[in-house]
Amino acid sequence: MSNEFLGGVNRRNLLKLTAAAGAVAGVGLLANRPAFAEQELSLKGKRIGISTAGTDHFFDLQAYNAQIEEVKRLGGEPIPVDAGRNDGKLVSQLQTLIAQKPDAIVQLLGTVSVIDPWLKKARDAGIPVLTIDVGTTNSINNSTSDNWAIGKDLALQLVSDIGGEGNIVVFNGFYGVTPCAIRYDQLVNVIKYFPKVQIIQPELRDVIPNTVQDAFTQITAILNKYPEKGSIKAIWSAWDIPQLGATQALTAAGRTEIKTYGVDGSPEVLQLVADPNSPAAADVAQQPAELGRTAIRNVAKLLAGGTLPRETYVPALLANKENVGEISKKLGLG
Amino acid sequence: MSVDAAYLSPSLPASAGKDTDVTSVPARALGRKLAVFALRQGSLAVFIGVLVYFSIAAPFFFTVGNIGNVLGQSAIAGVLAIGLTIVIIAGGSNVVTGGIDLSLAANMGLSAAVYASLVQAGQGDAVAIIGALGTGLLIGAVNAAAITLAGIVPLLATLAVMNVVAGLELVLTQNTVVPASTEFLSTLSASGPFGIPVLAYLLLVFTALVAAVVQYTPVGLRLYAVGEFPEAARAAGLRVKLFVSGAFLASGLCGGLSGILSVSYLSGSTTGAGDMLLPVVVTALLGTVFSRRLVPTIGGTLLATLFVSFLINGFQLLNISSTLVSGVQGLLILLVVSATTLLKRKGNQ
Repeated sequence: MSNEFLGGVNRRNLLKLTAAAGAVAGVGLLANRPAFAEQELSLKGKRIGISTAGTDHFFDLQAYNAQIEEVKRLGGEPIPVDAGRNDGKLVSQLQTLIAQKPDAIVQLLGTVSVIDPWLKKARDAGIPVLTIDVGTTNSINNSTSDNWAIGKDLALQLVSDIGGEGNIVVFNGFYGVTPCAIRYDQLVNVIKYFPKVQIIQPELRDVIPNTVQDAFTQITAILNKYPEKGSIKAIWSAWDIPQLGATQALTAAGRTEIKTYGVDGSPEVLQLVADPNSPAAADVAQQPAELGRTAIRNVAKLLAGGTLPRETYVPALLANKENVGEISKKLGLG
Repeated sequence: MSVDAAYLSPSLPASAGKDTDVTSVPARALGRKLAVFALRQGSLAVFIGVLVYFSIAAPFFFTVGNIGNVLGQSAIAGVLAIGLTIVIIAGGSNVVTGGIDLSLAANMGLSAAVYASLVQAGQGDAVAIIGALGTGLLIGAVNAAAITLAGIVPLLATLAVMNVVAGLELVLTQNTVVPASTEFLSTLSASGPFGIPVLAYLLLVFTALVAAVVQYTPVGLRLYAVGEFPEAARAAGLRVKLFVSGAFLASGLCGGLSGILSVSYLSGSTTGAGDMLLPVVVTALLGTVFSRRLVPTIGGTLLATLFVSFLINGFQLLNISSTLVSGVQGLLILLVVSATTLLKRKGNQ
């Protein structure tokens, strides 16, 4: 963050932002400290419903599988259901799960407005609901990466990389998904202090499924609209699958001067970040497996009579061109 | 036989008939009857067998609460499949040249989006209901016009309309989830008497009403006549095009209705309505095995919808991956279509 371009005022603001985000992260780390010794935890004889919006991304799959394994490791019986990114299926599965009366339900991802009424029904039926990456008052505890820190880190890296000015393209198709909303809001908060950074309107909408192909098409189209080099400085997305498509489109069009930014630490995107010639500049890697294990340990604590904080934060790691090798090692990606 | 020919596989080799000519006609008819009987009873037996197995393996399966849930979970797909069944009855059951409505799932998506958007815009439920049903009806009307006026094959006409409708939904919702919550919607997604979801009651009442019209009135009989022998129906003075148009309007209305159910079930309109298309087509085709003469019927379609839902539910209760359900579904449809095709071929010789 020591780039020359930053004027005094901007740098001060930057420091303030960093300090504020640091404080948030600090609170998170405190909350993360286990109240129970690890060896005491047990889920013996407990049935734990594990519901996910889907397992088609690296993040979901890692978090989902880690939850199942953790329940088994603690001696419990997992009831895993995978909605395959279909909201109707997700709701049906939750409905059946509630009727099965498990000892707890852990919901991984999902659009809040769709699942919230059903999480409430679970709560009303006396089933404790915990969540991963879902912000709802109907869950006792939400295990999540510190999305404020993620959004801030990514935004600062972006602003710093593009020299504090220029047009950026933003994928904002999932503002209804809480983590995406927080990351987007943090981007907006950061660029508020860099008036020369402009988000190109209209913002793009990333889609599921066919995220990569769709992002590729949309970016190719926008490159045709802004053919001059330098007219676009960076592409931002709240997760890294649109970033993957965007990066491919930039490489295909020979516009590698534009940099791409995303979140999740998908292995294929980290590989691109590691490639010095690729426009992929940074990817904030969450630790999905650790998130899954944390949520299940929280269930065990709760069922053992413990109390849980509202949110448990699992640290995320920003991978950029300099440190990507080290981060990949930490994530167990070699 | 010339009327028939359109509804037979055109590649049917002439020699196939000769081999069977040796057998006497009554014997053949008896054989076919037996085969139909076996298929129909077999399917019912499989259905009941699956229910019994689930009840034993997962004790929770056979409870009022769970069966109610499954009925409620079947409502959206059930209404769509029934709409499709009406179209298949009126257009004939040849998958390629007969009646089909591929725009149904997209119709549901757009109708749901219209409903949710109207609620978001501050309109009441009454306006939103009219909006959703109107959208469905309009889509049905476009289908009807393309097929009866322009003379396009339903498969292609409804495929084109499907794309237009899916595009309109994208424009309207920007491919985002549009949340909607009103008292009416909460009532729909809540539980009714005996703890059974309101959607379950709706599905049963809706099926009963449509079945009453299609299976037990002269209109229904004519609908079958138009679908099975359009030339004969025309010769008998039936206005074939009117019936076909009516069928598409009815299926459009079903799309609109399922859109409303979907908004209540998912607390808004969500993306990915198109995913419903193939399961609905499969269900409507599967429904034929639950009818006495292996023809599409409203009751048969309901049974097929419930069968698929019970499979999904039972798999979840037994902790078996739900991805297997689509495999089982595929296998069933393959069996059913080949069995019915073979039987029809024999019957038509």
